[in-house]
Amino acid sequence: MSRAIPDYLAALLQESLPAWGVAGVVSRSADGGLELRAASVHLQIARAPPGLPFRWLVGDGDRNRAVSGVPGLLRTVRASIDPSYRPIAVRIATLPLAP
Amino acid sequence: MIPVWVLTGFLGSGKTTLLGRLLKSPDFSRTAVIINEFGEIGLDHDLIETSEESFVALQTGCLCCAVRDDLVLTLEDLLRRRAAGTAPPFERIVIETSGLADPAPILHALMLGPTLAGQLVVAGVVTTVDAVNGWRTFDRHREALKQVAVADRLLLTKTDLLDAPATRLTARLAALNPAARLLTATFGEVEAAGLFDLVCGSRAPAELARWLALSAPGERRGTEHGHDPEITSVAIVRDRPMRAVGLTLLLEVLADHCGGDLLRLKGLVNIVECPERPAVIHGMQHVFHPPAWLARWPSQDRRSRLVLIGRNLRQAWIEALLTALEMEVDEVHGVAAKLPATDEQ
Repeated sequence: MSRAIPDYLAALLQESLPAWGVAGVVSRSADGGLELRAASVHLQIARAPPGLPFRWLVGDGDRNRAVSGVPGLLRTVRASIDPSYRPIAVRIATLPLAP
Repeated sequence: MIPVWVLTGFLGSGKTTLLGRLLKSPDFSRTAVIINEFGEIGLDHDLIETSEESFVALQTGCLCCAVRDDLVLTLEDLLRRRAAGTAPPFERIVIETSGLADPAPILHALMLGPTLAGQLVVAGVVTTVDAVNGWRTFDRHREALKQVAVADRLLLTKTDLLDAPATRLTARLAALNPAARLLTATFGEVEAAGLFDLVCGSRAPAELARWLALSAPGERRGTEHGHDPEITSVAIVRDRPMRAVGLTLLLEVLADHCGGDLLRLKGLVNIVECPERPAVIHGMQHVFHPPAWLARWPSQDRRSRLVLIGRNLRQAWIEALLTALEMEVDEVHGVAAKLPATDEQ
């Protein structure tokens, strides 16, 4: 399985840490995946194997979680490293804007 | 469709005085006012005289805390009575919040009330600011900062009590919410037309232009060197049209990760699937209106432009997020450049 993560995702995760107010480091692993260290958490992020309905894998120790895209990846990563994180679902207004 | 305005502002900033004057004006006739007072015995509604065609309804308790459902019920009741002819045929509604209220939950209740759809439109937020005490109020009460940050119109009151122009305060207001139009009440008088005109919709190009001007190169943004460093505005300009699903995912992530810190978002977006008609998007915290589609581009500039106001927003993160979403959506659509060879085994 390829572990390589594109640069755009590495850049996003690097920018996400300060945006979330979390101290940590994102680095490349030897196989092209990403490693994220924040406090006592060490995550490995890799591309999901082909044929699965997922795009990314987030490894945390022995546990691997698969996510289908960037929103899910960010949610999973932040939930692992930011105890204050409370995800909020988007709502669409029933009332329109003034015409 | 009846426009609904939210009138907010900190305690003593002149909301009730303003309403009292406006309701006597012919330009402001046929207005239904809902006044929210904090306390068991309301007083403000007794202080307001109206013309025969306007009237005042009262709610007690803090709108943003416990009685949001009551607000929807009050609005539904007003609409029923209007339809039945037992209430005057009002043409606009103004909701005056209590001075301690966070306006965002009130707007959410308004935006999400399912039974109100098709009858009301959200017109905007007017915030009164006391020119004498406003500075100290901002230093002490975060609610007051939020009331300013979500405003479409800022009205500086009590300026006649100042010895000198409120230059520092107006600069602070401009830093907190550079997109809002700042008006001044002179001896309590203000032109209703300038204050409560429709501001948010697809037929308000001037209003949209004010927001989008913030995305111009060199425009000063953010208050990092000012007094309220946690509240910043971020402007994003994208040359590439955006796929509709990419915009949806962007709003999902912003709601998910910024939540209550995203005080306002407005934008004009070039959507791949509909390139001739720009989409106007507008949201507050995690609640967004469905896009309003302009009939045509207002200028030759067809770039997507987003302006966000909120706490601790980081431009670099939002830019990186947009890039990642665009790349991923393109990959899924099979139109992006191939991923680097190291991505495949």
